[in-house]
Amino acid sequence: MLKHEVVVVGAGLAGQRAALAAVEAGRDVALFSKIHPLRSHSGAAQGGINAAVGKEDSVDTHIYDTVKGSDYLGDQDAIEFFCREAGPTVVQMEHFGTIFNRGADGSLARRPFGGAGFPRTIYAADRTGLALLQALWERLGTERFALYDEWDLTSLIVRDGRVQGIVAFDRRKGDFAQIGAKAVVMATGPFGRVYGRTTNAHSCTGDGVAAAYAVGAALKDMEFVQFHPTALVESGILITEGARGEGGILKNALGERFMGKYAPHVFDLASRDVVSRAIVTEVLEGRGFPGGYVHLELMHLGKEKVESRLHEICDFARNFAGIDPVTQPIPVFPAQHYMMGGIGTDIHGATSLPGLFAAGEAACVSIHGANRLGGNSLLETLVFGKEAGIAAAAYAASAPAPVLAEGDLDVATAPIRAWSNRTDGEDPSALRTEMQRVMDQYVGIYRNEADLLEGVRRIRELKKRLTQIRVVDRSKVYNVNLTDALEVGHMLHLAEVIVVGAYARTESRGAHARRDYPARDDARWMKHTLAVRGADGPQLSYSPVAYTRWEPKERVY
Amino acid sequence: MSEGTVKATFDIYRFEPGVDSAPRYDRYVLDLPPHTPVLTALLKIRAEVDPSLSVRYSCRSAICGSCAMQINSKSRLACEAAIGPELARDGRIVIEPMRNQPVLRDLVVDQESFWRNYGKIQPHLILDPRHPMPEGRENPMTPAEVDRFKETPRCIACAACYSACPAVEADPEFPGPMALAKLYRFVVDPRDQGHQDRLVRIQTEGLWLCLRCHLCTEACPKDVRPSERIRDLKEMAIAAQGATEHGSKHAVGFKDNIRDRGLLNEMKLARQTMGVVGTVGQLPQGLKIWRKKPEILRAPHVIEGQEQVEKIYEALDDHKTPEDLP
Repeated sequence: MLKHEVVVVGAGLAGQRAALAAVEAGRDVALFSKIHPLRSHSGAAQGGINAAVGKEDSVDTHIYDTVKGSDYLGDQDAIEFFCREAGPTVVQMEHFGTIFNRGADGSLARRPFGGAGFPRTIYAADRTGLALLQALWERLGTERFALYDEWDLTSLIVRDGRVQGIVAFDRRKGDFAQIGAKAVVMATGPFGRVYGRTTNAHSCTGDGVAAAYAVGAALKDMEFVQFHPTALVESGILITEGARGEGGILKNALGERFMGKYAPHVFDLASRDVVSRAIVTEVLEGRGFPGGYVHLELMHLGKEKVESRLHEICDFARNFAGIDPVTQPIPVFPAQHYMMGGIGTDIHGATSLPGLFAAGEAACVSIHGANRLGGNSLLETLVFGKEAGIAAAAYAASAPAPVLAEGDLDVATAPIRAWSNRTDGEDPSALRTEMQRVMDQYVGIYRNEADLLEGVRRIRELKKRLTQIRVVDRSKVYNVNLTDALEVGHMLHLAEVIVVGAYARTESRGAHARRDYPARDDARWMKHTLAVRGADGPQLSYSPVAYTRWEPKERVY
Repeated sequence: MSEGTVKATFDIYRFEPGVDSAPRYDRYVLDLPPHTPVLTALLKIRAEVDPSLSVRYSCRSAICGSCAMQINSKSRLACEAAIGPELARDGRIVIEPMRNQPVLRDLVVDQESFWRNYGKIQPHLILDPRHPMPEGRENPMTPAEVDRFKETPRCIACAACYSACPAVEADPEFPGPMALAKLYRFVVDPRDQGHQDRLVRIQTEGLWLCLRCHLCTEACPKDVRPSERIRDLKEMAIAAQGATEHGSKHAVGFKDNIRDRGLLNEMKLARQTMGVVGTVGQLPQGLKIWRKKPEILRAPHVIEGQEQVEKIYEALDDHKTPEDLP
């Protein structure tokens, strides 16, 4: 039976950084991922990584911007820690070999980003995530650890009240295995594929978050879903905020630069929730282009700037929309982009379950609160990936060896094998498509009680159909049909938590916008939502927000 | 943004080694808008027709490098290749797994050799304790130094170049275009302390196996231009160590031949590349060539206007482009 001291699930930036920290602490580390680490969704991050390293900027301003951006739901102690770590984290990644853009004096170049008081987003053209992912993978490659790539996580093993390993599925060989571990770090990223219109990769199905939820870990603030203002209309492919950071502007069908109405001070560089709602409002009030979208204009920036600073964007627009951003406006509309919620952790990645740690987008510390600022997510993966790796290594150093029973594997995988043994039933992709329609329609940017109630009802119906799906493909090798089934099983539970949390929160805060409760309600709702799995769905409770120095104010950009 | 649909015929390679006795092609016909990416079509086939079709994919926006495959005999990313132009040119879309990597199943290949070859070039900064990183701050790097990386940071390791490369097919020891482009990225990195060792090592570890066919550059979906970086590596390797290998001796000999005479002297080039003893070993091959092309043994001469050739060389040495020449 396979055993390691620390098992990290997910090999994007957070997982790799956790693995590196645990290896440096002297532990025997295994890194599991359902795709090769260099194919992780971290690599799709475009715009940059925040660090207040400029002379005119300050860590305090970064903290304030993040607190304000979070609509005062972020924990201020965690945000202070996070922003103080930013400078050293970026410098370390530079030392690991990241190729960042530079200023004329040879220092790290910075660009302005939404919701930030100063240009503090350090970048590598418009592929910052890829640049960081390559450098970290190359650095990690100099260490000894076990890589299990193209393994799907199916569940967590909990015995005697603590996590003792994982059950996973080797895609290339088609076998299930139990892997014993003294500590497990979940870094499986987001679950944006619960939505149909999303910038997320197909792999973003929240396997680790769902597995943690299934064994009793508390999920935090799941109703807060970020919609990125600028995604290509048809495909939902991301057009970076860096496009507006470089001077790009949004216009409606009347040719108006409409952001002035919604953010009189910073126009197009308001926080993402503000810009997304502005675009939806323009379209709903009849000022969108036919089919429902607005234009992102880059033409005035000039060919040289657009092609050098926004090279990938040019490729995306040309290849996926048939638009040349040098000469034509890009048709854009918001799409699901980021999950503020996730497995609840402290600043060291510890969850409510002994032996289980989490980091990155799979986790919720919470530093993003109700709305994340652009440039803070890449930073989060590295700062808290490292913390979780250190904490998991320390925990593993004194934890007893895992005790696994051979027979448990059969029990754990019986429901999955049942899908393959059925002779009739639905394909998992049918359930997935329906779930995505429900989430797009009823749990989008603007929400209300009737829609959310309908959403809960429909998601629960789909959950019932989960046992009735059929995996037609009987092959042992690279059975994507089985992966589809595992993923939709994970996602349906997470979709339910999102809708139930959104229904319960009768206020508007950050990315959670209720038409029927349009105001923020600090007296009743300045608190985190915690969801624990019960017999009939999530059981909600609430926990206080941590304060240090910043009193809640009205949020104006 | 609406447009009509076209009838799209897909012939898709299906094979599970050890289970199927031979590969087959399954035909699927779908009505789709012409700008539909091939990957979208494959996912529609999986969802609506045959869930057992095996494909590797993730981001659908040409950044994760998962879905490279052969589309009408070209190595491409399925998420980026629109069906319209393929249908217009070939009438149908034949989809096969990448080449130079064993098929795991259907369109999914085993990338073990690809990753192993990438690992061989030491893909990480080589550090020297005598040159420590600056404490608490970044290494300074000028924009001009960043420009030296050229397009190599754009590489997404999709292996389309590896699939297209005839040198990989001929010699499994050849690291492949992606690995060499990656090596270039480290050689030009001012933070790396292993430049010289890297250049010396690669001279005997595959650099000169590149055939200069540029199929990698043609296949690369991110415009990384591996063949151009391989050319740069060859120049840097000769500058660092001189011509020590057959490949580099051949390149230098070729260059000198043309400068001195304006045409190739195959006999002399063989001697320059392999030495007298090595050339003797090539006699049977030489005889075969002589039978078809007896003029190779004719006394070498200098072409008319050789001084013009020399001027071209001088201009190139001054890094002038052809447009600068009189």
